[in-house]
Amino acid sequence: MALLRPLDKLPTLDVATILLLGAEETPLEQLGTAIIKECEGTAKVQVHVASCLPLPTDRECFRPRIDLIVFVLSLHSKYSLRTVEASLPHVDARFFLGKVCFLVTGVRKEPNTSIHMDAVRKMATAYHSPLLFGDLEVECFRASVAQRLIQILQICAGHVPGLSALNLLSMMKPCLELTMQET
Amino acid sequence: MELNQQNPAPGDIQDKEYVVDRKDKIIEECEELWKQMEKCQQEIALTGGERLNPSDAQLPLLMMRLKSLTAECNQWLERTPDIIPLNAENLVALGKEELQKLDHDLEILLSTVQSKNQKLHEDLRREQGWLDEQEELVASLNEICKELKNQVIPVSEKRTLLELKTKMTKIRRHRQKLLTSLGEVLDKHFPLPEENGNKKRKRECQPNARLMTMHEILEILINSLLHSPHDPYVKINDSFWPPYIELLLRSGIALRHQDDPSQIRLEAFHQ
Repeated sequence: MALLRPLDKLPTLDVATILLLGAEETPLEQLGTAIIKECEGTAKVQVHVASCLPLPTDRECFRPRIDLIVFVLSLHSKYSLRTVEASLPHVDARFFLGKVCFLVTGVRKEPNTSIHMDAVRKMATAYHSPLLFGDLEVECFRASVAQRLIQILQICAGHVPGLSALNLLSMMKPCLELTMQET
Repeated sequence: MELNQQNPAPGDIQDKEYVVDRKDKIIEECEELWKQMEKCQQEIALTGGERLNPSDAQLPLLMMRLKSLTAECNQWLERTPDIIPLNAENLVALGKEELQKLDHDLEILLSTVQSKNQKLHEDLRREQGWLDEQEELVASLNEICKELKNQVIPVSEKRTLLELKTKMTKIRRHRQKLLTSLGEVLDKHFPLPEENGNKKRKRECQPNARLMTMHEILEILINSLLHSPHDPYVKINDSFWPPYIELLLRSGIALRHQDDPSQIRLEAFHQ
């Protein structure tokens, strides 16, 4: 089975690539367009959208180096959690040094969620990756999530001099602290 | 790899060559870096990937993080910062930047100081206005104080007593005048019935007692009212001529007692 590796290709000059992974297509596409709209003029960003890993091998040579993977989960759909869990083993271990983050949507709706927040938190702490919360349905919130992702992407692609993805990860607050405080 | 500083030679052609040389040098440097990157990338590609077990991922991940962080740290320690070649153009550009920053900061400073100045001017103006008002107040109060002092000093005890005495004598004289004139008017206009009048009427009235003049009737009434206000009623006896009593009653000068018709009193005009 093919493994998605962070440094298996040379980087494209001045371009940063982000991969959005999630079960539902439309929110991912909307988020992708929002990201492209937000970074108009500043930097070149490529957005790839997929529903599960492994990525199809027939287009392997055309694909650029992936700088950031975002796993998109919805708190109301167990299916999304399962797809993410199924895709995680296909990611190389080196990606989890700051080039992966989890995005959770649907937190603002009524509290009867299918997935408990703890399950998501445990997954984020198990992989030591940052957990972001965002609402992808309202446009202005989508734009702010896009801005956040662009910031992280710039750092992960190495476009920010002096700051590496690992530095960013070390500076972010880990999820583990939160759960320990709660329990 | 460091850039060697070439001495700028005079002449246009040589300057252009110098510029081109520098560009080439930078491009050379970039090419070198790219080749290094390709080498490293090939080595990485050869090492192969590592799969993570989801249930048991934390420890290997943390170990990997530790290793990478120490490697990065060492890299940072080894690296010496590259100096940008200090030639005239770079210096000029840097200098321009610094001066622009300075100019911007000074402008901000200027605007803040000006606004502060304005505020202070306003405060000064307001305070000045208040001060003027207060001073006017003080001046007017001082004048009033002086006037009052001037009025107060001439007043002494003797003077007040003398003034009171003169007032009293004046009032007494006035009172006397009033009473005498009242008596004259009464005697003139309200005389006692003469003996030359109708004998029949006289006999009807039975004037046994001596009749009092209007003056005397009024005197009795006034005295009784003033000296005994709790019991101002005067009993009518035969010395009161009935027509005069009727006149007094009808004109409202005297009032009859509620229960006893033979008692009258003077109307209390002074109350």
